[in-house]
Amino acid sequence: MATVTFDQATRIYPRAERPAVDALDLAIADGEFLVLVGPSGCGKSTSLRMLAGLEEVDAGAVRIGERDVTDAPPKDRDIAMVFQNYALYPHMTVGENMGFALKLAGVRKSEIATRVTEAAKILDLSDYLERRPKALSGGQRQRVAMGRAIVRSPQVFLMDEPLSNLDAKLRVQTRTQIAALVQRLGTTTVYVTHDQVEAMTMGDRVAVLKDGVLQQCDTPGALYDRPANVFVAGFIGSPAMNLVTGDAVDGGVRVGSAVLPVPRDQLDRAAAGNGRVTVGFRPESMHQVGPGEGIPVLVTVVEQLGSDAYLYTKLAGEGADDVLHPSDVVVRTDPRTAATAGQQLWLGVREGALHVFDASTSQRVD
Amino acid sequence: MATIALPGTETAVQPVDVAARHRRGGRGGTSGKAGPVTYVLLVVSAILSIFPLYWTIVAGSHTNAEIAGSPPPFLPNATIVENIKLALEQAPIGKAILNSIIVAGSITVGTVLCCTLAGFAFAKLQFRGRGLLLSLVVGTMMVPVQLGVIPLFMLIAQLEWVNQLQAVILPTRVSAFGVFFMRQYLVSALPNELLEAGRVDGASTIRIFWSIVVPVARPAMAVLAMLTFLTAWNEFFWPIIALTESNPTVQVALAGLGSGYVPQRAIIMAGTLLGTLPVLIVFAFLGKQIVGGIMQGAVKG
Repeated sequence: MATVTFDQATRIYPRAERPAVDALDLAIADGEFLVLVGPSGCGKSTSLRMLAGLEEVDAGAVRIGERDVTDAPPKDRDIAMVFQNYALYPHMTVGENMGFALKLAGVRKSEIATRVTEAAKILDLSDYLERRPKALSGGQRQRVAMGRAIVRSPQVFLMDEPLSNLDAKLRVQTRTQIAALVQRLGTTTVYVTHDQVEAMTMGDRVAVLKDGVLQQCDTPGALYDRPANVFVAGFIGSPAMNLVTGDAVDGGVRVGSAVLPVPRDQLDRAAAGNGRVTVGFRPESMHQVGPGEGIPVLVTVVEQLGSDAYLYTKLAGEGADDVLHPSDVVVRTDPRTAATAGQQLWLGVREGALHVFDASTSQRVD
Repeated sequence: MATIALPGTETAVQPVDVAARHRRGGRGGTSGKAGPVTYVLLVVSAILSIFPLYWTIVAGSHTNAEIAGSPPPFLPNATIVENIKLALEQAPIGKAILNSIIVAGSITVGTVLCCTLAGFAFAKLQFRGRGLLLSLVVGTMMVPVQLGVIPLFMLIAQLEWVNQLQAVILPTRVSAFGVFFMRQYLVSALPNELLEAGRVDGASTIRIFWSIVVPVARPAMAVLAMLTFLTAWNEFFWPIIALTESNPTVQVALAGLGSGYVPQRAIIMAGTLLGTLPVLIVFAFLGKQIVGGIMQGAVKG
């Protein structure tokens, strides 16, 4: 077990215009499950590979525990990695795959056998130890890849999108299993995914990256309740937060023909840049109000999920075209009283549920 | 000279792309059953491939006159045993076969090992000047062997290796074609993640080579071994310069066989048959190494 520290760690690929990972600062506690999440090309896998020693660190440092491993080869870092495509050795049996690292480390044969058997039992692979990877299903291969990591009892687990090759149902199932397993072992884990649901459900903390820059690192709840900027606000949550940019006017922000009330002090600071303010409100913090009172919208599509219904609406009324981000406004409602497509509604935002961002810097203003 | 057609070996080593095969699909492609036309074509090519060997046996059991007759004989007879005995008397064929096995065997082992190492380096390791070096290696394929023969002979003479086996082994220990062939195979067949998994598991580069690269490269190594062994076995130009009939390889020995005023073809053919047998055995052994789907199950996708 150990802590992991990224200290201004930077990776610039040869001939690239901007760094793939730009001065990453991240402190991961002992035994913590940290998820790196972001859209493709955001540098999350590169960060993980820098920690693994598979990618050079051009500036800054990476530490595991107290030890600076910036220039150490992978084998000297006491880490185990699970790859997206599993990378099982095709010519070795499941047992040999899992015991390969121990064999290289010079562990006694009887000891290897004990540890492999134990790991196989945990992962429900006992019946498959003599099989080759090609005789296994996708889910089983994924478990072998996990097994290869856990038999080593490393200081840190690194997982690079380990679930993205499984089908939807198996993914949810395996997600829970991995979370439970890692919690039981208590090993520090860094987990990369592009799926924000996976990130929110598995991580003790989640680090959101974009264009190689860390946007925010916090607990899933805090990311959801207090996103640090417009990107995080839009990235975390499904369906995404509604984000609308409008002019600051007396008493609030003008959205179409309506004015969303924002406290004076907060509004002044948010509008300090260019007089425009981005406001965000989640689908579940909207409610219907009487005609003429809130934001007028037109329902275009209704999604019935059984437990909820999502209304996809367009801003309607005077001034709707002046609003930036004129995408749909999504509203979560009770499925039994949901509106129908084509209907006009007026929406209000629950008190205290409005997120305010400076439109010029995209940063949160409280 | 021993010649054996090798239909389809080039394609056999490519990593099996099941999806692509399904996409090509087409007539009878997905059902897995071949039609009569396919069978006829296969039977014809099989006959064409086997015929030269069969004719060696037929011609080895008849005199010049009988072979030249019309119609020519189509069945072998017991005279071939007599002719093989004559061939063994006329030239040191036993010694030649042993020499050829040593020569072709050493060349094959050396070439396959060095070419796999170099091919792996060119395919998967990052180092300065990699592209330039590979171009240089491939470029040497364009220099004709004949150009180098005189300086090579002078060198061998200086080393006092004339008429010694190392004179024919060492100059062909590595082949540019082999390096390129192994590189091309490993670039596509060996996923980088597998090497990275090895590094994370704690393997050194040499260990990765032995424990991961070689098992994955086995089918391509077998094909390269076959081609190299055959080329080395059939090599005539340089051995007849560097060796003499007192210490010959098979091809050098055969050149001296049945040579009178009228060449005795039956004896030449009987000798040729003897010289071909080891090649057939090597092929039967190496053919088993060419297995499809060696990479199956390593990575998803």
